[in-house]
This record gives sequence, structure tokens and C-alpha cells, in this order.
Amino acid sequence: MTEYVVRRLLYGVLIVGLVTVFVFLVLRLIPGDVVRLQLANAPGVGEAQIDELTAALGLDQPLHAQLVTFLGDALHGDFGTSFQSQEPVTSLVAERLPITLQLGAMAILIGILAGVPLGLLSAVRHNSWLDQGMRLVSVAGISIPNFWLGLLLVTYLALYFGWSPPLVYQGPGQDLESNLLHMILPALALGASTMASIARMLRSSLLEVLHSNFIRAVRAKGAPETLVIFKHGVRNSVVPVFTLLGLQIGNILGGTVILESIFGIPGMGMLIFEAVQMRDYPVVLGCVVVYGAVFVLINLVVDLLYGVIDPRIRYARR
Amino acid sequence: MVQPNSRGFAAGTREPLLRVDDLHVEFDTPRGTVEAVGGISFEVDPDQTVAVVGESGSGKSVTALAILRLLEGGWISGGQVHWDGQDLVTADATAMRRVRGDDIAMIFQDPMTSLDPLYPIGNQIVEAIRLHRRISRRAARERAIELLEQVGIPDPRARVRSYPHQLSGGQRQRVMIAIALACSPRLLIADEPTTALDVTIEAQVLELIRELQREYHTALLLVTHDMGVVAEMADWVVVFYAGQVVEQGPAARVLGAPRHPYTEALLSAVPTPATDKALPLTVIDGAVPGLADMPPGCRFRARCAHAWQRCTDEPPLFELGEGRQSRCWLREGSEMDGAPVLPAADLSPAAGREVS
Repeated sequence: MTEYVVRRLLYGVLIVGLVTVFVFLVLRLIPGDVVRLQLANAPGVGEAQIDELTAALGLDQPLHAQLVTFLGDALHGDFGTSFQSQEPVTSLVAERLPITLQLGAMAILIGILAGVPLGLLSAVRHNSWLDQGMRLVSVAGISIPNFWLGLLLVTYLALYFGWSPPLVYQGPGQDLESNLLHMILPALALGASTMASIARMLRSSLLEVLHSNFIRAVRAKGAPETLVIFKHGVRNSVVPVFTLLGLQIGNILGGTVILESIFGIPGMGMLIFEAVQMRDYPVVLGCVVVYGAVFVLINLVVDLLYGVIDPRIRYARR
Repeated sequence: MVQPNSRGFAAGTREPLLRVDDLHVEFDTPRGTVEAVGGISFEVDPDQTVAVVGESGSGKSVTALAILRLLEGGWISGGQVHWDGQDLVTADATAMRRVRGDDIAMIFQDPMTSLDPLYPIGNQIVEAIRLHRRISRRAARERAIELLEQVGIPDPRARVRSYPHQLSGGQRQRVMIAIALACSPRLLIADEPTTALDVTIEAQVLELIRELQREYHTALLLVTHDMGVVAEMADWVVVFYAGQVVEQGPAARVLGAPRHPYTEALLSAVPTPATDKALPLTVIDGAVPGLADMPPGCRFRARCAHAWQRCTDEPPLFELGEGRQSRCWLREGSEMDGAPVLPAADLSPAAGREVS
């Protein structure tokens, strides 16, 4: 078990490393130059100054040398400083990460709280109008892009109810109510597809379980339907739902980039969005490492949960 | 309340424990609604072992499931199941739940998939007890250990914590039996309980069922396709063919002198050590007709060597005395009076035919 966790963590480091290298290289393919972007509006800037700044940022080195320097520093926990604000990337990320985690957690919570009952009802009232309606809603939930849903929510709430989220972001410590009001719409927009996927997966998984032999055997014992469904049905059908949830984390993290920008939430998503625009390489890479690590860690937790749910799953040495 | 037994056999005036009366079961298929069970009637007396035999698809498992209303995808379209002064066909969900597992318990064909894989077996036995008995978790657990011991699970005190995947098929069926007996039911329905097991294990499990049946004074409704099992276990035999009863009667009499060509054929298809190994195995030609296109008249007609023009009419169940019944025109006129019927020798060459 411990060996399994250690091995998975090492794989995780490798995965995050490879992703970082990939993003490092792809970033350089984007046309545009951080120095020229920064100095674009400064009056009387000559080629000499541009060269000087390029050298100061280390961008005059060959690409592979830059990569080696970056990776070496990163392994020591140093992700450099922002080209833009001159702040260390680690402290920028540390400041922004909790905000994004809160948004992500709210989105997942909405997805679970709405998706699980929907999927459950849908499976139990199989083929009823409720089931048909749920299937329609979940196809919509999966197909609608989250940023569009976000825009739609803001627009319609403002238009018909005259309500719009607060303009200035407040931390949960400063003003919890304002914070939650600010977060709720993007969390809804992000959570919609998670809700839809969970509902669909739980529905099909539970339907299959409810037709299995042991469920009939439990009914033959004289068990009431609530016991059949909750004790035996649901627990036997959650493993695929957990797998799905682990993968949904990727969607949610990706969704924060654009939704935070739309709603003016100063989290990691907004940070990476601005950094890409300004070709602020160290910040982009720092964010990518954190996003990757969060994804890998959550999926490790999901895999460990399988063993808690299902006694047949054991983590082999090899 | 004692009612005269309509068949007047054996114990005479004893009220049957279970009386299935003209039971019909239908299923929806892509080709339309079909009748899987077309008017089945039989009785089970207290402490009696009744075997229901027939080929796959004859409706025997469906009948067993229908009694406890555990059908999936099918529904009871007619008839009654009399139990304890109530009709289980029309009983509400609560009444049904009280009967299941407490009065009537069931064990299933495939022990590998009949236990919930996520809970220890002890938990699943305790669940069965506490669904019907108000006793503490601790007491139920002690009872579970006792039951495991009775069904022959070694080291039961440690085994209660085992998960189903840690047990063999035979052991799992023993656990299923323990669950079934948890509330001392008056009737145990066993749907091909040994089909999925090795032959050696099969004998042990059957012996166990018989032993516990005696100990718990439980009647047994045994669904099987194995004539050897019938001979071994049954007091009474009900032979199913294509959703109907074609013959029933006391086991010894039916097996000794069958009164329906289908029963005869089933019996001669059982290989014995005396069977000449050089010859092909005896089989019954053809297959059970599809439920969707059941021919008119006798349903066995197409496969029967004795078929004659009379068979295009549907034969009724002829009463042959002692409660014996046969759905064959050859028995017409031999009803009730115990008149000599065709000697078995007349039937034997036709019973099973060889295929090459």
C-alpha cells in the first residue's frame, strides 16, 4: 500500500515534469515576444534596450539551455519571478491557488449534490418522464460549454432579476457573503457538466447493478427497497462514478481559466490567462505545474478510495 | 381450517402449505408479449419436497420466482398463489416483504453472483436475521456464526468477516443456505441450487439441504433439470414442458412408471453406468417450441413419437388418481379410476431416439 502510493507519487512527478516541458516548448511557439510586449508603449525604446532586457531575462540563451536552467531551478522549488510584476512565481501562485481551489470545490460539490440524486431517481424511476427529462438535461449539461453557460447566467439574471454578482472580489475571510455571491455563478457554470456526467454515469451503473443476481437475492430476504438501493445498489455502482469524478477535475480546472476571467475572480485561472497574454513564461509554467499536481493528486486519492469501497481491490506490489 | 384435499392423496385432508393455482406469467419481448408460464397448478405440503423438472425455458425458474414476486421484466398475468390464507399475487409490497426471507426463503442458481461483493458474509447473514427479528446486532452475529457452523463452514467465528470473493462456489452456496435458513422459513425455494457447482460439491450441498430441511421442518420446492437429483430428493414431482405442467405425481411412481411421453423421454435421456458408451447419447429430438410461436394442440407433439391426429387438440390434464396428472391424450379415459394404462413397455422405444 505505502509502496503503491510512493510509486504513484513518483509517476505523478514524472507526468507533471513532462507536461511542464511540453508547455515550456509550446509557449515558445506562440508568436509574440515578452520584451516587445512589455516595451510596446514605452517611448523611445531602441533595439539596444530590447537586447539588454532580453539578456536580463535570460531569453538570449539557446532554448535547451533555458529549459535546463528552468528545470534545475524548479527542482529546487524556485520557479523564477514574473516578467511582469517581478514577484516570485511561488508567492503569486500561493496567493491565487486557494481562490481557485474554493471555486473548484464549489463546482464539484454542486455537481455531486445535484448529480447524485438526479442519477439515483433516474435509475429507480427508470423510463419514467422524470428519467427522460433527466437524460435530456444531462445531454444539455454535457454539451453546453461552461463559459457560455456562465455568460448566459450573468446576462439573464441581470436582465430579468436585475441581479449581478459583486464587482470587486472579496476573500471569504473579508466578506463571506459577497465572496459566495461572487463564486456561485461560475461554480454553477463549472458544475453543470459535472452534474450531468455524474447523473448519467450513476444512472447506467445503478441500473446495471439493480439487475444483478445479488440484488434479487437481497429482495428475496425481504429487504425494503430503500435498503436494496442505498446499502447494496449505490455502493456497488459508485466506482465508475469516482473514476469519472477524477477525470472531471481536469475539466473543472481547465474551466476556471476562462470563468475566472469572465467573472473577475483573481484566482490561478485569471493569473495564467493574463500570463499567457503577456508571454509571462515563468508564471504560466508555475501555474501549469500546480494544475498538473492537483490533478495527479486528486486522481491518486480517487484510486485509493476504490479500495475503501470495494474489498476486492488490492494494490499489488507490481 | 382444514379443507379436503382435492386430490385426496397421502395425508388426505391436510391443508397444503403452498397452493399455486392456474398461474400465468407473461414477458415482453421484441416480438411481442409471450406467455412463459401458461396456467400452472400444484401444491406443496408441510415438510414435503416437491421437485419441479423440465428443460431450460420450460418456465420452472420463472414459476419459482413468480411465487415470491421476484420476476424481472415479466409479470403475473393470472392465477393465485395461496399462502397462509392470503394470495401472494395480489399481496401488497409490505405483506410480500414479510413473507420473503421469513416464511419463504430462496436460494439461487449462481452462488458466485448471489452475494453482495462489498459486504462480509456475516453482515449479509445478520441483515437477513434482523430484517425479520428484533434482536441485537450482537445476538444476530452469534446466530450468524451458529448458522455458518450448521452449513459446514469451517472456523465460522473467523469466517464471518470473510468477503464473498474469499470463498469458493460451494462455500458461497452454503452461505446462501445459511441466509435462507436464518429465519427458519416454512418453505425453501431452491432454484437449481447445484447447477453451477462441481459434482462432488453438488452431492454435499444437496445432502446439507436435506439435513437442514429435516432439522428446520422446512418444505422444499426444488427446481432442477436433473432427474438424478429428483430421484434422490423429491417426494412429489411436477414435470414442466413449455410453460405447462405435463405430468405430476408422487416421485417414486412418476419415475418408476411415467404417464407422459415427455417424462419418459427425460428419464431415458439420463445416462447410467450401464449405458453403452459406443452408442451416441440418447437425446430428445428438436427443441422446446418458441413461446412466441407455440403450435396449437399438444406442445410436445412435434417431438413426440406417439403423436397422432388427436394431438392437434390441446390435451387437458387428466386425473389419474392419487393426485397424479398427465397432459396426454393417451391417458384419456383412464381418469380417476386407476384403470390400467398403457404398459410402460409400449412407450419405451419411442421415448428417446438416437441421433447420429
